[in-house]
Amino acid sequence: MSATINVYPPAQKGTYEPLDDKRGLYGIWLVIATEAFLFFSLFAGYLLMGSSKFRWQTNRPPKLGYALALLAILIGSSIVLMIGERMVKQRRYFAARVTLVITILMGFGFLALQAFEYLDHWTTLTPDTNAYGSIFYTITTLHAAHVIVGLLLLCYVLFLPQYEPASDSPHLPYKTVSLYWHFVDVVWIFVVVILYLIPHGIVYGF
Amino acid sequence: MSTATVEQRLMEIWEEPKGLRGWFATVDHKEIGKRYLWTAMLFLLIGGVEALIMRIQLSRPDQAILPPEMYDQLFTMHGITMIFWYASPILSGFSNYVIPLMIGSRDMAYPRLNAFGYWTFLLSGILVYIGPCMGQAPHAGWFAYAPYTTAAYSAGHGMDFFSYALIFLTISTTAGAINFIVTILRLRAPGMTISKMPLLCYSTGTISCAIIFSMPSLSAALVMLELDRQWGTHFFDVAHGGNVLMWQQLFWFFGHPWVYVIFIPAMGILSMIFPVFSRRPIVGYPYLALSTVLTGLVGFGVWMHHMFSVGMSDMAMSFFSAGSMLVSIFTPIQIFAWLATMWKGRVVLKTPMYFALGAVAVLVIGGLNGTYTGVIPVDWQVHNTYFILAHIHYVLVGGNVLPVFAGFYYWYPKMTGRMMSERLGKWSFWIMMLGFNVGFFPMHLLGLAGMPRRIYTYAPGLGFGNLNMVVTVGSFIFAIGILISLYNFFYSMKHGEIAGKNPWNADTLEWALDSPPAPYAVAHIPVVTSRNPLWDDHDEFLDPENERVFDQGREVPATSWLDAIPVGISQMPAPTLAPLFIALAMFLFFLAMVFMWMWVALAGVILTFASGAYWAWPKRAAGEGAPA
Repeated sequence: MSATINVYPPAQKGTYEPLDDKRGLYGIWLVIATEAFLFFSLFAGYLLMGSSKFRWQTNRPPKLGYALALLAILIGSSIVLMIGERMVKQRRYFAARVTLVITILMGFGFLALQAFEYLDHWTTLTPDTNAYGSIFYTITTLHAAHVIVGLLLLCYVLFLPQYEPASDSPHLPYKTVSLYWHFVDVVWIFVVVILYLIPHGIVYGF
Repeated sequence: MSTATVEQRLMEIWEEPKGLRGWFATVDHKEIGKRYLWTAMLFLLIGGVEALIMRIQLSRPDQAILPPEMYDQLFTMHGITMIFWYASPILSGFSNYVIPLMIGSRDMAYPRLNAFGYWTFLLSGILVYIGPCMGQAPHAGWFAYAPYTTAAYSAGHGMDFFSYALIFLTISTTAGAINFIVTILRLRAPGMTISKMPLLCYSTGTISCAIIFSMPSLSAALVMLELDRQWGTHFFDVAHGGNVLMWQQLFWFFGHPWVYVIFIPAMGILSMIFPVFSRRPIVGYPYLALSTVLTGLVGFGVWMHHMFSVGMSDMAMSFFSAGSMLVSIFTPIQIFAWLATMWKGRVVLKTPMYFALGAVAVLVIGGLNGTYTGVIPVDWQVHNTYFILAHIHYVLVGGNVLPVFAGFYYWYPKMTGRMMSERLGKWSFWIMMLGFNVGFFPMHLLGLAGMPRRIYTYAPGLGFGNLNMVVTVGSFIFAIGILISLYNFFYSMKHGEIAGKNPWNADTLEWALDSPPAPYAVAHIPVVTSRNPLWDDHDEFLDPENERVFDQGREVPATSWLDAIPVGISQMPAPTLAPLFIALAMFLFFLAMVFMWMWVALAGVILTFASGAYWAWPKRAAGEGAPA
């Protein structure tokens, strides 16, 4: 063949610009996807076990108050963290660290309040009471474990020496970890709807 | 600047450190890919020996070589070794080694995560084999149906090893899948648009997505099982409101996509081999690509066909039966595309092509008898008989083992620089084909005659004896065929002909590199203009101004995912021990969880997070690695 096609090689003479700093973000999105399906599987298990007739009718739905308070804390923390992300974009790194501290404190507040909720529930329901107790505590504890992991990641970002964009990894640590934290919050919305709100509207054993 | 200095400089940047530390710290995808291959081959041998012991036990009626409990443990270990620790990791090994070279890159997107994936794969395999060494192997088959697996019926630690090793492997596989997705979508050479990338990228990408979405349901099921076994919950306890079918639902929601995970990349390997040995571009590239993706997608809608005999509504059965039939539309598209490629091309019969053709023949038989079992009345008849055993072995040998051997013969020259012996290869192929068909075809007949699977022996008067003897003889012949190829691997490493860059005159980019490739793989990042870069007129590597060398550190260009337009330069990490540390810490955690040593488990968690922090900490702050 003699036809010629002119292909212009990409001009990339500047060695560091632009830096591809998005790999971490792609990674965390995929982690979130797979984690979302972990919760999806547990919710499916919950609905499967609960949908059989006459199961779980002896159980009262869990109290709404705690769940909604916990929801408020988490959504609040996400909003604070979003402000922090904006601060990083504006290169106001000290303000970003302050919002990070507030988020972390709210996360610890969530865990503390959930401990109270557990103490309250424990009197009537434990994981070995029946299958409902098993799945209720499994889902909420797994979510709490994700909160703990999220808190560790936030602490890691807090202790990072600098947020300036650099050619070395980690790239965009603040944004990456924030994404994970928002994911943990969104999971709690689903927990509240499926484990708390729906049972209050519909009697068990639907 | 002369080329020599460019290559020397790249060599300095990309060369892995020598010595023991360097061996453990490597993040080179070529080295890790080879380790995946070796380790998975080792598991193939272990699983094969287990199968042969079972076949000796079954060769005559009323044999008493193995006690029943031992037999249960053997078939379980055979199943999980082959399905989890051989079939998927060996394909990861090929993809790991070949894909970055094929797309003109220098490493995977996350090299450290890649090393982590290998170490966790190896350590999870060791974890699952600690059980048998203690005489406490899992014994409930590879799908481990509850409630048989709960503490009441499965005492000892066998099922605990099963659960925790599988959760561990889940982490490894998911890490690998994330890596493949980002590598394939982000690191392709400039110009290699999504419609020009090799088909192996399509198949690996598809199954990586399937892994992301299906593996969590296995983890969830295993966590529930362990909570039931160790902590007294009631997930699979009907008396307390649990549901035993939940295990089957969760397991098969994972399990069917997993069948494709261990099958689709092997189809990708075949799609690479057929055009090369037919001396023409593949026929129907878009249809192949789409049918690959659609197979992966439909794989999520067929899981209940493993459960037809447990009882479900007619509606559900019709739906899942129809879904299963749909699969038998997409896979034949690939097979017909290969046939058309051969039809329109000029077939060159080398050993890789022998194995590829054999794979298609075996796969077609496995696919056809699979279509039978998708028909519900037939399924009820043959469920849990040797017919199903014949089906899965025809599918897995045709859809995994033979393509894997084709892949070995095809890429071995690239990996070692030497050709494998054609003579030994063809002997190995014919003996494997003979042994396999002699060994597994009679299983159809045994199944139709009513021989149930998973029995440790059978009575003399049932008429199973002769066929079982044939099966045993066949399986030993099959094993001899595999051993010949293994001998060939070692023999050719020393005595094989020097391969040169492109012994097969193939079309994809990895064949433009040295054999074996240099640590930096490509000196000049290629620019691709067609689907068969080495068969077109365009010189992908032409770069007289050294504009595409990228030698200011470990650099790889990143491109956009559809059009492969350069968008930036990715900085790759230096070799590090962090992945090994974190894998060891996780191993400690899972081992401790088997025995419920909770303080050790806590130590494992803390060590995991500590090594994670060491991993992710900026290198400049830790004082290692050169500042950019």
